Amino acid sequence: MLSPPFITASHTNLFTQPLNKNNNHSPLTTKTHQKLKPPIISSSSIKSQRQTHPILTAPSLPLTTSSITVKLNRLTSEFNTLTEPIERVKRLLHYASLLPPFEDSDRVPENRISGCSTQVWVVSAMDNDGKLWFRADSDSEISKGFCWCLVWALNGACPVEVLHVTERDLGHVDILGLGLKAQSRINTWHNLLLGMQKAAKDLLIRRELEEKAFYSSMVVDDDDDHSGGVFANGKLSGIGVSLVYMH
Amino acid sequence: MEVLLLKVPSFKFSSPICCCSISTRSSSYVKFGIRRFSSVSVSASSTVNEAVTEPSLAAPSLGHTTRPHFPILHQEVNGKKLVYLDNAATSQKPAIVLKTLQSYYEEYNSNVHRGIHFLSAKATDEYESARRKIATFINASETREIVFTRNATEAINLVAYSWGLSNLKRDDEIILTVAEHHSAIVPWQLLAEKVGAVLKFVNLNQDEVPDIDKLQELLSRKTKLVVVHHVSNVLASVLPIRDIANWAHDVGAKVLVDACQSVPHMPVDVQSLNVDFLVASSHKMCGPTGIGFLYGKIDLLSSMPPFLGGGEMISDVFLDHSTYAEPPSRFEAGTPAIGEAIGLGAAIDYLSGIGMQTIHDYEVDLGRYLYERLLSVPNIRIYGPNPLEKIERVALCSFNVENIQATDLATLLDQLHGVAIRSGHHCAQPLHRFLGVNASARASLYFYNTKEDVDNFIQALKDTINFFK
Repeated sequence: MLSPPFITASHTNLFTQPLNKNNNHSPLTTKTHQKLKPPIISSSSIKSQRQTHPILTAPSLPLTTSSITVKLNRLTSEFNTLTEPIERVKRLLHYASLLPPFEDSDRVPENRISGCSTQVWVVSAMDNDGKLWFRADSDSEISKGFCWCLVWALNGACPVEVLHVTERDLGHVDILGLGLKAQSRINTWHNLLLGMQKAAKDLLIRRELEEKAFYSSMVVDDDDDHSGGVFANGKLSGIGVSLVYMH
Repeated sequence: MEVLLLKVPSFKFSSPICCCSISTRSSSYVKFGIRRFSSVSVSASSTVNEAVTEPSLAAPSLGHTTRPHFPILHQEVNGKKLVYLDNAATSQKPAIVLKTLQSYYEEYNSNVHRGIHFLSAKATDEYESARRKIATFINASETREIVFTRNATEAINLVAYSWGLSNLKRDDEIILTVAEHHSAIVPWQLLAEKVGAVLKFVNLNQDEVPDIDKLQELLSRKTKLVVVHHVSNVLASVLPIRDIANWAHDVGAKVLVDACQSVPHMPVDVQSLNVDFLVASSHKMCGPTGIGFLYGKIDLLSSMPPFLGGGEMISDVFLDHSTYAEPPSRFEAGTPAIGEAIGLGAAIDYLSGIGMQTIHDYEVDLGRYLYERLLSVPNIRIYGPNPLEKIERVALCSFNVENIQATDLATLLDQLHGVAIRSGHHCAQPLHRFLGVNASARASLYFYNTKEDVDNFIQALKDTINFFK
């Protein structure tokens, strides 16, 4: 049975180009990785085999099906119990230490989140179930802490859920106790969300395009001399429709 | 020196020379004299690694004397006393400026140049008086050479669109340095795209200041404009503007000086410097935000077409064309920031009362102290020239500490110590790229800072570095 292709790109050009021009293997190949959780996306091409992707090997990130809002509320509660600034900073640095390793080859301008006063990079992928998985890193320890928190909150969510997170949702999570709600151009927290939402949108669009292309290729034209086929009218719809290819 | 202040009982000068009341038609003033204060001197060799200066029975420093005039400095941040070291980003305002703003809106707010009633006449008087104060402050040859703008950035854009569009053509060259603020680079990039002009950048030399020899070499008959900072907001270096202006004029080029970091901190004489254009912002010199100015030689301004169109800058308006006012009105479309201009005038009065040379001398001492104390921090890299090698430096230091990101430093300094510095690229990305770093931290002083502020900062910085170990 032929399964429809699913998107395996980051929000940059992972879909169409190798991340590292000098890298001989496919961008989807991991070097060494731990056991994969969750199931990972296959390659962008219909013909590619199922391969692992380094950004999806995230054993240190909890796999949870909680909604983003629930997770953000948990973060809010947790940081609200820390009344001293030093305790908040220490907790943030602790989370920074939990951030999984980030490929050097992913620290490229295309993956960089714009607007931050520190350098922050994000890569993303979508699994077979259409869920999003992120990896992030920064040259700043505090930004790394923000990265861990937001990646933890958004990982495993579907694109629509990610796209519905608002600045107001983030604003309640006043990690550094600044009491500030206004967006600032150096606000890593907000810029990271925007970057991840852009990635979610890109992955969603690419998935739809991929599926459309896949299904289009299964259509039998009147002039085609296929021995069999499923659809004769060239009309396809829906995402995730299973195909049964008949001989 | 004397300063005129509104009578504010809670503020005292520690050593008034004389004290008498005089009444003016609108309010009463108390006349004070200010003795020239010298900073507490600290020798470089003995104090680099020592914690704090000894309490002194000498006359209080300028910082100690003026601090009471700035209400905002007397607060706690995150449970610690505020130590404000971000003056290159914006300065704090003395009570007299705040009072002037309030008086304007309470007593005589009215649109300027348009009405004949009492309030309008008074507002116009005060607004034009502020313009005269600026002209005197920088020794412009006449008041008409001062154009009010929103800030220095707008002033540079004014020159780019008005003078630049009508004077620059394809292959004409504009010389800048890699250390320019974005506001002194981007308007020229936009202009160069439109007219096909070429931007040429001067790099830094081994002392980490713009290479003036290279600048001189780059000048040619193709050069039409030289755009340079007077004082660098990152390197703390000072450029020889008079020399640069002479060289530029020799090849027929004009000179625009970004004086945002110099006008607030030292005497600046535009006639002596012989510059064609000079820009500055009020908010960096104890004045309100929302106002700044362009100085331009009157013959240049008179030859320039308008920038923004609208009311005030016209002479007559017809349906198919309009005629325009003379400078400076030609470049001041719409209702200006009247209260803010008057507030800037009050700031200039305040600074003049202290004396710009006094401010400069104090800050040179304090800046050297900051540099020396920073040198005591392990693994630190301070950008710009070394003042210990007799190269002029102003009172700011941009720096990086090995293995600690600048923003992490700044965040913890704020969160744990109440110390306000800045981190990032300070609107000088090309400079940071040239230096090979993504960001730096910057502590920048003003005359109301003290050596205690520097000591507190250094201690907090060392604590923060230990926190990350």
